[in-house]
Amino acid sequence: MLTFAGLTKRFGENIAVRELSLEIMPGEVFGLLGPNGAGKTTTIQMATGRLAPDAGSVDVRGLGAPTRTEVRAALGVAPQELALYDHLTGRENLAFFGRLYGLRGAALRNRVDELLERTGLADRAGDRAKTYSGGMKRRLNFAAALLHEPSVVLLDEPTAGVDPQSRLHIFELVAEQKAAGRTVVYTTHYMEEAQRLCDRVAIMDHGRLLALDTVSALVAGHGGQSVVRIETADGEVRVETDDAAAAVAAQLKQHPDAHGIHVDRPDLETVFLALTGRSLRD
Amino acid sequence: MGAIWTLALKDLRLLLRDKPGLFFALFFPILYAVFFGVVFSGGGGGDGAGIAVLVVDEDQTESSRSFVDGLLALDGMEARRADRETATARVRKGDATAYVVLPQGFGAASRRMLFGSRATLTIGVDPSRRAEAAMLHGLLTKQAFAPMRDPGALRAQVKAALVASAASGQDGLAMRPFLVALEQFLGNVVATTEANKTAGAEGSRAAETDGDAFGFQPLRIEQESVVRARRGPRNPFAITFPQGIVWGIMGCAAAFGISLVVERSQGTLARLLVSPLSQARILAGKGLACFLAVVSVSGVLLLVAVVGFSVRPDSWGLLALGIAANGIGFVGIMMLLSVVGKTEQSAGGIGWAVLMVMAMLGGGMIPLFAMPSWLRGVSSISPVKWAILSLEGALWRDFTLAEMLMPCAVMVAIGAVSFTAGTMIFRRTL
Ligand SMILES: Nc1ncnc2c1ncn2[C@@H]1O[C@H](COP(=O)(O)OP(=O)(O)OP(=O)(O)O)[C@@H](O)[C@H]1O
Ligand SMILES: [Mg+2]
Repeated sequence: MLTFAGLTKRFGENIAVRELSLEIMPGEVFGLLGPNGAGKTTTIQMATGRLAPDAGSVDVRGLGAPTRTEVRAALGVAPQELALYDHLTGRENLAFFGRLYGLRGAALRNRVDELLERTGLADRAGDRAKTYSGGMKRRLNFAAALLHEPSVVLLDEPTAGVDPQSRLHIFELVAEQKAAGRTVVYTTHYMEEAQRLCDRVAIMDHGRLLALDTVSALVAGHGGQSVVRIETADGEVRVETDDAAAAVAAQLKQHPDAHGIHVDRPDLETVFLALTGRSLRD
Repeated sequence: MGAIWTLALKDLRLLLRDKPGLFFALFFPILYAVFFGVVFSGGGGGDGAGIAVLVVDEDQTESSRSFVDGLLALDGMEARRADRETATARVRKGDATAYVVLPQGFGAASRRMLFGSRATLTIGVDPSRRAEAAMLHGLLTKQAFAPMRDPGALRAQVKAALVASAASGQDGLAMRPFLVALEQFLGNVVATTEANKTAGAEGSRAAETDGDAFGFQPLRIEQESVVRARRGPRNPFAITFPQGIVWGIMGCAAAFGISLVVERSQGTLARLLVSPLSQARILAGKGLACFLAVVSVSGVLLLVAVVGFSVRPDSWGLLALGIAANGIGFVGIMMLLSVVGKTEQSAGGIGWAVLMVMAMLGGGMIPLFAMPSWLRGVSSISPVKWAILSLEGALWRDFTLAEMLMPCAVMVAIGAVSFTAGTMIFRRTL
């Protein structure tokens, strides 16, 4: 659906993305996970034709590079930087972007109404975007990517700066896209989001692809063992194990006076730590 | 084309919602044109100093000389002596409004004012200046009555004579019809001069028709038409409105130049660039919006000028040509302004600074004709000069199509060069 082959982008000395090759399958929700500066946005921008790669190529649905206008018509993009007209209302923003993709008349109106409804903005549709809260702007920014029902939706940090409620709204929208058979590329530095939403996750750091697989395969492959910690009167006991349940039972037998038990199961965070020696949140 | 319209309409809608942008594109220009128009016209409409008239005395008799002296002293016109050749040339050039010729035999005829063949004057004036010609007729007629400096007093005397002759019964019957007629005539003169005093220019039309009401005309005025080679503006608003329009056009260029910077900083440009629109179409949309705004602002200001301030364009067709050329020129300038600054503030600041210099040099503040000659030479480097010229050419300079081509071609060339340069820089910084 979306294929990167040896994608490289430099900004002066700084190599933002280096030799990135991967293939995103039709209908999957694909996560690009990495800390700040990993090269996620740069990758998205090359995927949309916004930036020209210094080396390598992007192909969309076998149609060619997104530098061609007709290829871009298949893409829906919600950029990381909010891209809205502050002095247009929510409805006017959507109607404008819809028209750019060739929607007109009743089809346009219905689609705009539907998206305002789906993003929970219907009651504020007549207000100018500049009066919206950060979360509302995020949702509008997302809706603007969906107007023309693109077959590939690229979401660059769609939950940045939103409250838990808006976040849930956005998760639902992503799930709807998947249900509608669209391919979704989702960048984030929240591993919980990647874990929850994505079929497969690519972990990036310093422009490099470190690992790519389903969440469970990544955890199994790179997460290492679970850690069981038992708090006893004379301090904490730490046990690394592949079978956390058995380890807990054994430890409790050994320390009947234990007053606390923690099980740290490996997750994407652990995977990242194992791959880079750093925490994702540093 | 549909997408370009969509882009342009979005930009026009944003301009309408952008209070400072709209102020500079529309309200300030109108204020400017009206304010300076009123200042230049000396607090009202029309002729502060009176019409400039050259007097040619070909009779050179005592009474012709005293008639000329009378004209020189008259309010409502600024008369100077000249020979016929100079007078004709200067009226043709528009330096003077009209000339008046006192032909040989004028003195002799004017002495027998109430009988015999009438004294004849020839005036030369551009046929389009009907109001000035009518006013001149009135003033000359008035001057012909100068021997009766105070018709009111004279009338009183005639009346007294009538009363006296009726009372004495002496010699009365023979003189009576004449004196009655004279008394009525003087009554008319008093009415006419009163009308002239109160109604100004309109009184002159009354003087013409009242001449017939007298039943006789003491003065015969022949009119020659002297077509001016190049006419001056009919009123000061014809100068200040082109300036105002160019201020409005600059306001449009600044607003859209800044809007392109804002689209870049707000990320909407990025969104446009990932839509299926080519860069060329995105820029075309911005250019079209700017062009439409220029045309609309010019149209609104012209409407105000025509409806509110009696500005009458020489040629609507050429005016449309001039406005279109200005639109093209300033779309290019808009493109250049959009690449001078990275933020809204810097683009606005630098943009307006550049536009101010252009305006100062190009006659946007001090009209070109009022500039010292060295500055007038320098002004040709400013697009504002050519923009104003392309409007004035069609408004009152009475340019032919060929004469219009010069300023219009300069504006189109400025537009083409700056649009190309601006687009190249813009694309390099995408
Ligand atoms: N326009 C640019 N000019 C110079 N350097 C840039 C530019 N855009 C990105 N970079 C650099 O490229 C690298 C990758 O940036 P990018 O924005 O792709 O990271 P990211 O993964 O999206 O980070 P974040 O999570 O903060 O959004 C960073 O080192 C960044 O400084
Ligand atoms: Mg980013």
